[in-house]
Amino acid sequence: MNSLVVLIPLLPFIAAIIIGIGQLVGFLRDEDSESTTALIALWTTSMSFLLASTLLGTDLLHKNASSFLVGQWLSSENLSIDINFITHGFSLVLSTLFSLLLTIVLYCSINYMLRETGFHRFFFVLSLFSSAMQLLILSGNAVGTFFGWEIAGLCSYFLILYTYNRAVATINATHVFVTNRIGDACFILGISLSYTWAETTHWPNLKTVAAQLTTGEATGIALSFAMAAFVKSAQFPFTPWLVRAMEGPTPSNTVFYGAIMIHSGVYLVCLLEPVFEKAPLAMGLLVIIGGITTLYSYLVGLTQTDIKSRLVFATSGQLGLMFLECGLGFWQFAKWHLCAHAIIRTYSFLTAPSLMHIVYGKPIAIARPALAKQRWAYTASLQRFWLDQLTDWTLIRPIRRLAHDLSYFDDHIVDHLAGIPAPAINTISSLAELEEKLIGGHLDHSDQFSYSSGVIGKITELFAGHTHWFENRFVLGGLSKSTITLGRKLGQAANKIELLVLRPRYLVIFVLITLSLAF
Amino acid sequence: MNTQASSRGSESRAQIIAELAQLDAVLPRQAPLLQFVHQNTLHGFQHLPFEQALDEFKALTGICAYLPEHQSRIFYQQNRITDDDLDNALARLTDLQPEQAICQLGEKVITRKDLYKIALLFNLDGISISQLNWNTNELNAISTLQPDIPPAIREQLLMEELHQNVLVEQLWKCLLNKLDLQPAVLHPETLWDLTLEQAEEWLETYQALTSAHESLKGIQSSESKVLDDLFSQFGNKTTLRGIMLKLSGIDILDSIRPQLIRICASVLDEGVATWPIPERNELGFYNAWRSLIKYDANPFLHELHDWQQITNELPEDPIDTIILQLTQLEIPKDQWIGYLRRLALELPGWSGLINWRQHHPHYITNKDAVPKLADYLAIRLTLDRLWLNQICMDTWKTPAKVSSLRTYFRKNLAEFTVRRYLYQGDLPEYLTQLAESLAISVDPDRQNRADWQQLADLIWTWQCSPMAEQNTEHSAHKSGWRLFRLCQHLGLTAIKLQAATKADLLAMLNVLDGFNVTERSKIWLYAYEINYRDRLFHTLRANHNRGRWAKREHRSDAQLIFCMDNREESFRRQLEELNPNIETLGTAGFFGIAMNFGTVPAQPQQIFTDSEQANHIAGFLKYMGLTSGFSTFIVLMERDSISQNNPHLTAYQCAACGGQQSGGNAKAFAAMANRNEVRQLLIEQGITIPNDTWFIGAEHNTGSKALTWYDLPEMPSEQLTHFKNLQQTLRHAQQLSAHEQCRKFASVPKNSLSQKTLVPIGERSVDFSQTQPEFGHATNAAALVGRRALTQGAFFDRRLFLISYDPTQDPDGKILEDLLLLAGPVCAGINLEYYFSTVNNERLGCGSKVIHNITGFFGVMEGVCSDLRSGLTQQMIETHEAMRLQLIVEAKTLVLERIYAEQASLRELISGGWLHLSAKDPDSDELFIFEPNKGFVRWQVAHKKVHIYDSSPGYYQNQTLPVAPVLKTSKQRGM
Repeated sequence: MNSLVVLIPLLPFIAAIIIGIGQLVGFLRDEDSESTTALIALWTTSMSFLLASTLLGTDLLHKNASSFLVGQWLSSENLSIDINFITHGFSLVLSTLFSLLLTIVLYCSINYMLRETGFHRFFFVLSLFSSAMQLLILSGNAVGTFFGWEIAGLCSYFLILYTYNRAVATINATHVFVTNRIGDACFILGISLSYTWAETTHWPNLKTVAAQLTTGEATGIALSFAMAAFVKSAQFPFTPWLVRAMEGPTPSNTVFYGAIMIHSGVYLVCLLEPVFEKAPLAMGLLVIIGGITTLYSYLVGLTQTDIKSRLVFATSGQLGLMFLECGLGFWQFAKWHLCAHAIIRTYSFLTAPSLMHIVYGKPIAIARPALAKQRWAYTASLQRFWLDQLTDWTLIRPIRRLAHDLSYFDDHIVDHLAGIPAPAINTISSLAELEEKLIGGHLDHSDQFSYSSGVIGKITELFAGHTHWFENRFVLGGLSKSTITLGRKLGQAANKIELLVLRPRYLVIFVLITLSLAF
Repeated sequence: MNTQASSRGSESRAQIIAELAQLDAVLPRQAPLLQFVHQNTLHGFQHLPFEQALDEFKALTGICAYLPEHQSRIFYQQNRITDDDLDNALARLTDLQPEQAICQLGEKVITRKDLYKIALLFNLDGISISQLNWNTNELNAISTLQPDIPPAIREQLLMEELHQNVLVEQLWKCLLNKLDLQPAVLHPETLWDLTLEQAEEWLETYQALTSAHESLKGIQSSESKVLDDLFSQFGNKTTLRGIMLKLSGIDILDSIRPQLIRICASVLDEGVATWPIPERNELGFYNAWRSLIKYDANPFLHELHDWQQITNELPEDPIDTIILQLTQLEIPKDQWIGYLRRLALELPGWSGLINWRQHHPHYITNKDAVPKLADYLAIRLTLDRLWLNQICMDTWKTPAKVSSLRTYFRKNLAEFTVRRYLYQGDLPEYLTQLAESLAISVDPDRQNRADWQQLADLIWTWQCSPMAEQNTEHSAHKSGWRLFRLCQHLGLTAIKLQAATKADLLAMLNVLDGFNVTERSKIWLYAYEINYRDRLFHTLRANHNRGRWAKREHRSDAQLIFCMDNREESFRRQLEELNPNIETLGTAGFFGIAMNFGTVPAQPQQIFTDSEQANHIAGFLKYMGLTSGFSTFIVLMERDSISQNNPHLTAYQCAACGGQQSGGNAKAFAAMANRNEVRQLLIEQGITIPNDTWFIGAEHNTGSKALTWYDLPEMPSEQLTHFKNLQQTLRHAQQLSAHEQCRKFASVPKNSLSQKTLVPIGERSVDFSQTQPEFGHATNAAALVGRRALTQGAFFDRRLFLISYDPTQDPDGKILEDLLLLAGPVCAGINLEYYFSTVNNERLGCGSKVIHNITGFFGVMEGVCSDLRSGLTQQMIETHEAMRLQLIVEAKTLVLERIYAEQASLRELISGGWLHLSAKDPDSDELFIFEPNKGFVRWQVAHKKVHIYDSSPGYYQNQTLPVAPVLKTSKQRGM
């Protein structure tokens, strides 16, 4: 019975493979095959739902083991990672709920996406996502969850890019993708810390081991996973990525940012409940970040003028509350909150296009607190507290400038040292050179005996040059023009280096280097 | 001195205000979505002839408003456009001189028409060098015949030369010889290492110049001309944003758009946000923004230059701000209005809505700040200046002023060249790489003039080489390839071609050049329209004297008056098929009278006097020619449409009256017409309604297919049984008409003709996952003003607006004049909006529904930060056939000519070719086509047999494409 759990993520995965291959080979490509694609996706996901609910039923009758082991994926000395699934408790509840919501959204999408150019692509990505999400929830170890986590993120990227011919959509999709990498890094860090300190990456083991961890170790692990969760669930200060993700079709907005994927952060924190309980600092952080996000989303949500933005800030606000509840230790409540929110949000996203006609003649009440008259408060809310620009200012721009300088260093110093192939004899690469050659002018190299590039080349050239120079000096005994040029060039270079070194970004780097050496 | 300056200032203010009002002509005129009205998308160009309007629109916006050629070619393959249609269309454009001969090769005379036909059906464009290489090496283009040569010509060619490879190769060589062309099969990177001999040879061959010096000089001077041209284009052609995009690859709109849209949406918002801008109503759009910008951290975080100064010196009046910013950017004064127009057109949806609000100050919304276009442009210009300054200072250390930029680039022509080519995007890879790394590493502190110069030299060299796609007159991949394909399609071999001179070949090319894509698109459109018109006319002619109710010789079972909407054609036809003794009429009147008198209240007697009521009724009946032969039941059937989760719902509802439902007019009309007092007064006006005639108000919902009846309890009880029968028939007709609609829905089963069919169709309107609840006006193609007898008994596939009118009761054409004034613009508006949304849904329609995001209750965006989308959705136009409306009027041509001469609004539409007028003679089967410069011309096409089918389903069964009009077997009364 427990073994059925494998099929829950596997079935949608098979669907994705079939649709994907079908598209590549060409038997699922045009309008006529739309129903086939839709049926494959719908059937596999509904089967997942049936399996999940069956397992949930047997679990409620206490007939399930707590996990199911498929086999070993990786082993090396004392590192071993299994492929195993959770067949018990909240994970199963969530698996059932999410597969149900996915089935509903898939069913709606059949009509909604009809005759769209991206129809097959849409169902391919949604099936893949369905599988990834189940893997994320049901995997018995952190590595499996991470796989699901990553694939789900990738699917989200694909569907923000649904209309990839629109430049704004591609920019936003990339932004979302890159922001989410921060969370991934923290996730990986979390896995490594768990392995180092708790010597396991299995969720159930981690729970039991939690009691033996020191507070410091528990805090380290909890904080890493908490960060990953904050990014995935669009908590402060990462909230702005969620608005950017609203480029795709409405059903995909629903599953990714309303109902399902956005909750993975909260789920991850819930999985690690015992570890968090051991780490008061991490619990405090959950409270603070959750609280700030809730307040932030509320204030920003008030001034949003389009339905999707409003829904997005409502969502992030609710998620903030969930983190807050976790941080305060109301774990059970947070889980209930998660499930209820997923259902409500599915409905509100799917019916977003009818908003205009639903509220026609029943205007939304206007906020009239004292703050509402304050222009600075309004501006801050309208500009979403400039979070995007702040990130740009504090992170992106300095890094870009650094890259800029490095590339300059590459082009002007490294390349010169390494040397580039010299053009073949008697060839030119521009008409200007042709003209020069025709006039017979080799004026530039008048005092150069030979020409080459690269270190070896330069050494040879230098040798030949010096001999030549020596000969020249010996014969002429005068001061050549090149000495003056050289002196001036050296002076300029010294000035440049001084200017460069005094720039703040280099000062920061020097400080960092000094610090790292000191430790 | 001061007064002079201020008078000059107020002069330019007045000028700007006056000219901003002109922008109404080029901006979309779509109202907030809940007030949707169909109208000509190119309304501002309607005073011009159709073709010229499309050309001017393209020149202004770059949008081509003809159906893409590949789509028309598909129609040709489907036999929806025939060779005859193309010939007819070609004959219409006399400038093209289709019969003129170009040259004679042996006994074969090649006329312009031969070339036109081939150019229409096959792609004869030049290709790039790489494409030629691909075609030669991978597709064997030089050894096999082109794959799209029709079989007959292929056979004929192979008869002359058995070996295909010899045949094709000889042709290719012969053409190149005749044109003195060299096949260039080089890779661009060979330029990297160039021998002196090669370089000299190229110069001679391609530039006809002997020295590199001369050639460089030429390029340099042409380059500085390009610079001057670019900087003189400000205004009508481009904005500073456009120039920055061309020279730095940075689009400032990416930074400005989110801020601009946020502020616009907040000001226009009708209730999505719970927190409106403080004091929006008191301050207005511009000043509300001005009061906020002080608190905005954006300029600081983006490290904008002089932002404090720029935001502090903002004047209170938006027009002053516009003048200030334009002056600061140094836009030449004579280009100001052009510049503002460009700016407005960069986000046409938002500018359009703001412009609409400006022109509708009484628009009822809970927020009453009236936004003006000047507010919007003042904000846009200020933001532009802030961000332009940043780019210019960061990259070139000069402020964003036209003169300083021009001076900078005049001094740095090399940099200009490199940047221009780099961001234009057609440099070969090795040059792009160099240029990009130079542009990225550029730092205004570092001197790198020499680097720019060297790179510019490389680019200029590449420009001189045969690898560049330059404007040389002829090359193998352009003229060579075009003629190569043309000759194959003409069935010419190298041997036949021997007789041709170079001049002949050039003449052929010349003809092809003149027959450009716009000309071809026109021909395709004409042919498409002619095809439909002729089929329609054949049917109308064949149906002459077949249709019932030309005269009401016996009493009908019921008379049902429908909306003129093309969707009702199917319902009416099915109803008449079920019971031939039912008469149906179509009216433009429900909304017409509503327009004239306002929406009629539920209790009309409380507002209108008896005689006013009688006048309404009499007018309404006379318009339709229903003044005698009244039946027992007269049903006034309004139309409405309902669907779920559909922001564009109003576009499916009554399209002519701002998305409003007819507002219960039918109910009020029936109540008035049933009153004895009113009927007495009607007798005085010569309309005698029998005592047993009962008027019933009803509503037909084309979305849910439901029929709603009003005030049934008031019906005299003795008529109830008859009425039950009528209801039964109507229900049956509902099913049949739903079934007919099914044939084009991809997701509905087509085979079963039963009660079941009604269910899935009706369900679409309550299904919130349904993006295509019904077809709306899609496939509308003609409007017919005349007696039902003209169309009764024929099948028109829901493509006709049917407006009842009896010419025999209107000898002087007074009624007709009113009807045409009312229905002509409405039908043309619907038809043209569908036309433009179909030919270019991305730019003239609003794209796919699936990514729409409702904004401020007034429109939709794609995602959270896009232009406001106007026009029709992709789902609405999916089945539409983009052609102009055929307006067919049953009247004497003399009457129509008089109306045409007197009514300017109709004349504009008809003479401009925005719709096609024709006349059906009331007494004979003759049809006349109106040609603006000739008047009415008799339609003289030989009689063609029109198929007769037993019933509608028998004809359309298993067809998914539009089907041609046909006749149906005439059923006799009582069958």
